[in-house]
Amino acid sequence: MPDHDPFLAIWTRQPAEPFTLTLADIHARATRFQSRVRMRNITEYVAAGLVIAMFAWLGWLIPDPVIKTGAGLIVAGALYVCWKLHSLGRAAEVAASDHASSLADFHRAELMRQRAALATVWRWYLAPFLPGMLVFLGAVTLVADTGLPLEARLRTFVFGVGLMAAVFAAIGWLNARSVKALDAEIAEIDRVRTAGGES
Amino acid sequence: MNTTSDQDQLYLQAAEAFGPALQRLARATEANDERRRDLLQDMHVALWRSFGRFDGRCSLKTWTYRVVHNTAASHVDRERRTHRDAIAIDGAGDLADTHSLARTIEETDAALRLNVWIRRLKPPDRQVMTLYLEDLSAAEIAEVTGLSSGAVATRISRLKAQLTKHFKERTDA
Repeated sequence: MPDHDPFLAIWTRQPAEPFTLTLADIHARATRFQSRVRMRNITEYVAAGLVIAMFAWLGWLIPDPVIKTGAGLIVAGALYVCWKLHSLGRAAEVAASDHASSLADFHRAELMRQRAALATVWRWYLAPFLPGMLVFLGAVTLVADTGLPLEARLRTFVFGVGLMAAVFAAIGWLNARSVKALDAEIAEIDRVRTAGGES
Repeated sequence: MNTTSDQDQLYLQAAEAFGPALQRLARATEANDERRRDLLQDMHVALWRSFGRFDGRCSLKTWTYRVVHNTAASHVDRERRTHRDAIAIDGAGDLADTHSLARTIEETDAALRLNVWIRRLKPPDRQVMTLYLEDLSAAEIAEVTGLSSGAVATRISRLKAQLTKHFKERTDA
């Protein structure tokens, strides 16, 4: 590199700001970082635990076998999602800790990881709840003795299914939009790596 | 597997050799004083943590620059998502740049303008430019960034031309 570049001089002569971070500070901050990760995981498990506890309690409380089945399926779905969140979280921690990859590799791997999680959200986050929610909704609206005429029960069931479909469609649409944006960023990284530096 | 003292030792060695470069990178990445201090601390902690897994796949210099640049890139990414409605990182730089008109020390003003200009670059260009300014060779920059040496050389040439033009226009204005 040419040593007469005036910008190199401007750059290196910038005054240093007072900054002290002792090894003890670093150790403390690293420990705090681990605690934050642990707390985030605990929060996720507590939230999943609440869903599981609530539906397990409902399944135990209500004698109707269809409602019991629906609640059981929701509990199973929540357990599966919990396990997937745990695996994805572990993968994210491993990826984030490999800071010594080249910048392009690190950034691309991070984007690919986010893309995979978003693109398959139907499979691992929404679909596991679907059977349980449909059975549970069908049980409380159609099977349970609510005293309402059949037409009113059907309307309630269809409304419930429509609401679920709308929520699922909204999540799917938002994720598809995010995946598209991530694809553009990944393509930009690939273009930069192969184009010989032109932009 | 490194012992803790190895990890501490490697960190101290890197912090001693590249501490000022870390400060300059933080300055070229984040305009907000408080967030810049946080970023600098994050860089040091990431560096220390990384040395727990130091496997000698590259030199200490390359390793250090990879870790701190990846930390800076993650910071920019996070800031972009969390401060969408606040002043943009580059926008904050503009404020600093406007205020800098009152500054009398020409070199400080030039450094401010240089940092604002770098913050406006896209991530790959920002990384290449800051590494160039740290006086790394095209081959060293290629090793840190994962781009080819040819791509790095082309980029440096184009960026330098843009930077020169930018400074000339600002000086004329």
